[in-house]
Amino acid sequence: MVAIRGLHISKSYGHYRILEDLSFEIAAGECYALFGPNGAGKTTLLRILATLHRPSAGRLEILGRDAIQEREVVREALLLLAHGSHLYDELNAVENLSFAMALRAASPTDREVKVALDQVGIGAFAELKVRYFSAGMKKRLAMAKAILAHPKVLLLDEPYTSLDETGMVIMNRYIQALLKEGASVVMATHDRIKSAEVADRAGVLTHGVLRPLTREDLKTCDLF
Amino acid sequence: MIFFNVIRVVAWKDLLCEMRSRETISSMFFFALIVILVFSFSFSMDQQAARELIAGILWVAFAFTGIIGLGKSFSAELQNDCLEYLQMSPAPKGAIYLGKVAANLLFIVTAEVILFPMFVIFFNLDVVEDLPVLLLIFFLATLGLSTVGTLFSAMTVQIRAREVMLPILLLPLAVPVMIAAVEATRGALNGNPLALYRHWIELLVVFDVVFTVVSFWVVELILDS
Repeated sequence: MVAIRGLHISKSYGHYRILEDLSFEIAAGECYALFGPNGAGKTTLLRILATLHRPSAGRLEILGRDAIQEREVVREALLLLAHGSHLYDELNAVENLSFAMALRAASPTDREVKVALDQVGIGAFAELKVRYFSAGMKKRLAMAKAILAHPKVLLLDEPYTSLDETGMVIMNRYIQALLKEGASVVMATHDRIKSAEVADRAGVLTHGVLRPLTREDLKTCDLF
Repeated sequence: MIFFNVIRVVAWKDLLCEMRSRETISSMFFFALIVILVFSFSFSMDQQAARELIAGILWVAFAFTGIIGLGKSFSAELQNDCLEYLQMSPAPKGAIYLGKVAANLLFIVTAEVILFPMFVIFFNLDVVEDLPVLLLIFFLATLGLSTVGTLFSAMTVQIRAREVMLPILLLPLAVPVMIAAVEATRGALNGNPLALYRHWIELLVVFDVVFTVVSFWVVELILDS
């Protein structure tokens, strides 16, 4: 089953053409790794998939729904872990999770919240305000949010940035568990080694054009 | 049910963040305090003169104090890209807006409740009899300011010069609220019969209803664009 289908998607900012006639399909239970140099349009593509940006042209379907016309329905199944942590500095970890879940009409139990925090290794900091968190801890808390949200489509922008070695292992373990549940994952990353552990397919975005990559391509040095 | 829960959690989150940081409420309070002190030293008034002028002074202080709070309503969401999460969440955008209106209303009313006794002391006012109707006027006018101000706070959040743009956009639209609030407050402070200034209170109610409904529908387009 196709979870994400993009047909002839283009995106321009003024005269700058960022994405050029992209067509792609990502199946349910599949992880797609997106590579590309800085400014290639990876984040723009993720933001289009997250329904935050509208494409200038083309059609996007997520879980069989038109992601442009039926944004509200599609958003229930989506989660984007972006560069920004989407966390409130004045709230503690538990309060941040409660707020984020309430916006998704989910109400996890205290036990579920505790398990999620333990799973990402920050259970001991549950009552600490996020303003005292390091970047890596914020990333882990965002991961806990994803664990509680059970998204059918998870979009990850630089998922390994700021994470230590253990954090990266936890991230990949979580992605694998999510894939087993049948969810789809799209990640924009520069980390070929870590992403190769979980990605089923990969592509490189250069000058707005998406080129598929093989596992052998991932091992070559000159990717772009 | 989900709709009302979103209103509740958004208001709760804003209040909790503000209670812990005290960034907005403290700047609101000190600004209003300066306004009161400047006006009280500028005009040495007897009670009759005070009753004529105080309504205008009062609403200058309340409106600009409110703008400080309203300006931070959505700009606070820019920290850690939280606005992005609100935008892509499946929560109804109208509910997020109403949650913000509720929090702003509470901030500004709290500031007013603290500041009004200072006005009474500094300008030597006798307001005991008119207090219930004055509180009603304060509530209705503040609700009007909050509904429009929160909408413009959302509208200007992505603009670089948002601190300048918010009052420029808000104040012309809030003129009916300001005029009605000043006239109704003046009527109450002068001890006039309610019938003489009731139409100003009715205008506040109409403004609140119209702008809450319009803003509720418009905010979806703003947060999704």
